[in-house]
Amino acid sequence: MSEVEIVLVEAGRYRWRIEQRPPMRVPGVVFANGALLPQAAGDHALEQVANVATLPGIVRASYAMPDVHWGYGFPIGGVAATDVGQGGVVSPGGVGFDISCGVRLLAAGVDRDELDAERIRRLMDLLDRTVPRGLGRGGLWHLSGPEELDELLLGGARYAVEHGHGVPRDLERCEDRGVLAGAAPGEVSNRAVERGLQQVGSLGSANHFLEVQAVDRVHDPETAAAFGLRTGQVCVMIHCGSRGLGHQICTDHVRAMDRELHHYRIELPDRQLACTPVDSPRGRAYLGAMTAAANYGRANRQLLSEAARRAFATALGVGLELVYDVSHNLAKLETHEVDGVPRKLCVHRKGATRALPPGDPDLPADLTGAGQPVLVPGTMGTASYVMVGLPGNEAFRSACHGAGRVWSRHQALRTVRGEHLKGELEARGIAVRPALMRALAEETPEAYKDVDAVAAVTEAAGLARQVARLVPLGVCKG
Amino acid sequence: MREASLVDGREPAARSDRGHRSVPHTADLRVEAWAPTAEGCIGELVHALVGSFADLSGARIVGERACTVLAVSDPDLLAGVLEEVIYRMDVDGELPAALALGPIGGLDGARSVEVRFRMADTATAALVGAVPKAVSLHGLELGEGPGGWTCAATVDV
Repeated sequence: MSEVEIVLVEAGRYRWRIEQRPPMRVPGVVFANGALLPQAAGDHALEQVANVATLPGIVRASYAMPDVHWGYGFPIGGVAATDVGQGGVVSPGGVGFDISCGVRLLAAGVDRDELDAERIRRLMDLLDRTVPRGLGRGGLWHLSGPEELDELLLGGARYAVEHGHGVPRDLERCEDRGVLAGAAPGEVSNRAVERGLQQVGSLGSANHFLEVQAVDRVHDPETAAAFGLRTGQVCVMIHCGSRGLGHQICTDHVRAMDRELHHYRIELPDRQLACTPVDSPRGRAYLGAMTAAANYGRANRQLLSEAARRAFATALGVGLELVYDVSHNLAKLETHEVDGVPRKLCVHRKGATRALPPGDPDLPADLTGAGQPVLVPGTMGTASYVMVGLPGNEAFRSACHGAGRVWSRHQALRTVRGEHLKGELEARGIAVRPALMRALAEETPEAYKDVDAVAAVTEAAGLARQVARLVPLGVCKG
Repeated sequence: MREASLVDGREPAARSDRGHRSVPHTADLRVEAWAPTAEGCIGELVHALVGSFADLSGARIVGERACTVLAVSDPDLLAGVLEEVIYRMDVDGELPAALALGPIGGLDGARSVEVRFRMADTATAALVGAVPKAVSLHGLELGEGPGGWTCAATVDV
C-alpha cells in the first residue's frame, strides 16, 4: 500500500490541518502551537495521524491533541470517530494495549503548609512499601479465581466498593460511575484471565505512578470548589490501567482482526491499525472484551486508592475524597452530530480524555453545572493540571491526557542519571521513591513537552479550560 | 536445537554475525537482532527483550518450559515467541535465562516452531528497565537478506 503524503497547513491559531490525500478519507487536524507540533527527525506522529484518517467509516477528521506523540499504529494523543451505521470500524490499536489506562485524583483533608519534610518522608516511605509496582510483585487484591475475576470484569470499581474497597461516594465521581455496561468476560481469553488474576491493585512500570501533589494555583475558583479543590490542598494522583489483562485482550483481538481484514476488503498502511466493522461479530466481541478490561482498570485504581487512603490515615491521620477518575485509552459508542445529523459513532481516544461540557446528562449530579474534570498529569518535576470540558469541542468532546513524550528512553538515559535526578528533585522538596534509578531517568521531566504549554494550548483551542495547577510533593514511580 | 545464553545482556562491541540492540522509540521499546538463521535471530531478539529490563546474572534457575508457537508468517512467529516470554513472566513469575529453538516448520500461512526455555525466577532478577507488556504489529519484521537474517519488533512497556 502506498504511503500517505503529509501536507501540513496552518489552519487557525493552534490548529493545523493535514490535507486529505489518498488513501485518507478525511483530513487530519492537529491542535498545537509551533513548539508543540511533532517535528523532530524520525518522529512519525503526523504520519500516524494521516494513517488513522484511512480507517473505513471515519468522520470529520483524524484528530491529534496538543500532547500528541509517536506511538505505533495510532499516535498517542489521537481521537478518531467512525460512523457505526456506515460500516465504521473499531480498531483495538485505537484504544491501545493498556485498555482504560487512566488517571484518578483524590483530595486530602490537609494543606501543604501543615506538612513538613519529615511528615512527607514518612508518608512516602509508607506508600513506597505498600504500593505494588515494577516487576513481579503481585497485586493488592488476591482474587479467589477466574469466577471472581469475571465478577470484577462485570462490576468494575463498583464490585471493588461492594467488597469493602472504598465508599459509595467514590462511584459518583468515576466516569460511568465506575462500571461500563456491556462487558463480555466470555470474550476474554484464558491467557488474559491468567495474567489479570494476580495484578488487581498494582501500578505497573514505565510512565505509571502514584504522586502526592499540592494545588499550586487555582485558575477557576468556582469550578475548583465544585470539584472539591482549593489552593494549597494536598492531593493524590494515580496513573495506571488494566495491566496484563488489557494488554492480552488487545493482542488477541488485533491478531484476529489482522487475519480477517480481507473478509471486509480493508487495506491499511500499518498492521497495528487492524480493525473490523463495529457492527460485526468480531467488532462486538472486541467491544465486550474491551469493556471488561475497562472495568478491570477502574477496579485497579480503586484498590490503589484504598492503599493511598491507608497510608494517609496512618502517616497523617487524614482521609482522601475522590475528585474524579477518567480513562484516556478507550473506545465508546456515542451520539454526535455530523453534518447536522445525529450519528452513532465509535469514538476512539488513545491518549485522549473525554471532556464533557457543563449540563451533559452523563455527568454526576453535583458536577452538572461545572462540567467534567479532565485530569492532565505532567511530570514529576513540573506540574499537572485539572481542566474542565467546554461546549463546542469539535474533537468529539476530547482533550489532552498528559504532557506528551518528546524524548526516546535512549535519549533520556544518555542525558540524565537517575541518582542525579533524584538528588535534584529531593533538593526541590520532591520526595522520590522509584522502583529503580534507570526507570526514573527514563521518565525525566525533560523527556516530556512543557505541560504548561499543553494546558494553555488545550484551552486556547477550545478543548478544555484550566481549573487548577498541581505541583508534586512526592512520587512513587512504577 | 540451537541454544543462546541470555544471562549476558551486553551488546557485542562490533557487529558480528549475530547480535541484538535496542533503537530509539519515543515511548516504548524498539529492538533489533541479526543472525545467520531465522531461529538464531528470534533467539537474539528474546535476548534483547529480556536484557532491556531484567538482569538475570544472579537469578535462580527454576526449571525448563517447552512450547510450540504457531503463526501465519515468520514475523508473526517472532511476535508469538516474544509474547510467550511476556505471558510466562506475568503468570508464572519466570523469565528465560536461555532458550533453544527447533527448526521453523510448516508452509507459508501455517508456520510453527518449538521453543525450550531455561527459566529463572523473576523474584531473584534485578530490574533494570521498563517491563514489557505486549508486542505491536507495527514494524514487525523477520526476513532473510544478503547478510543473513534480521528481525525487529516494537514492544509496549
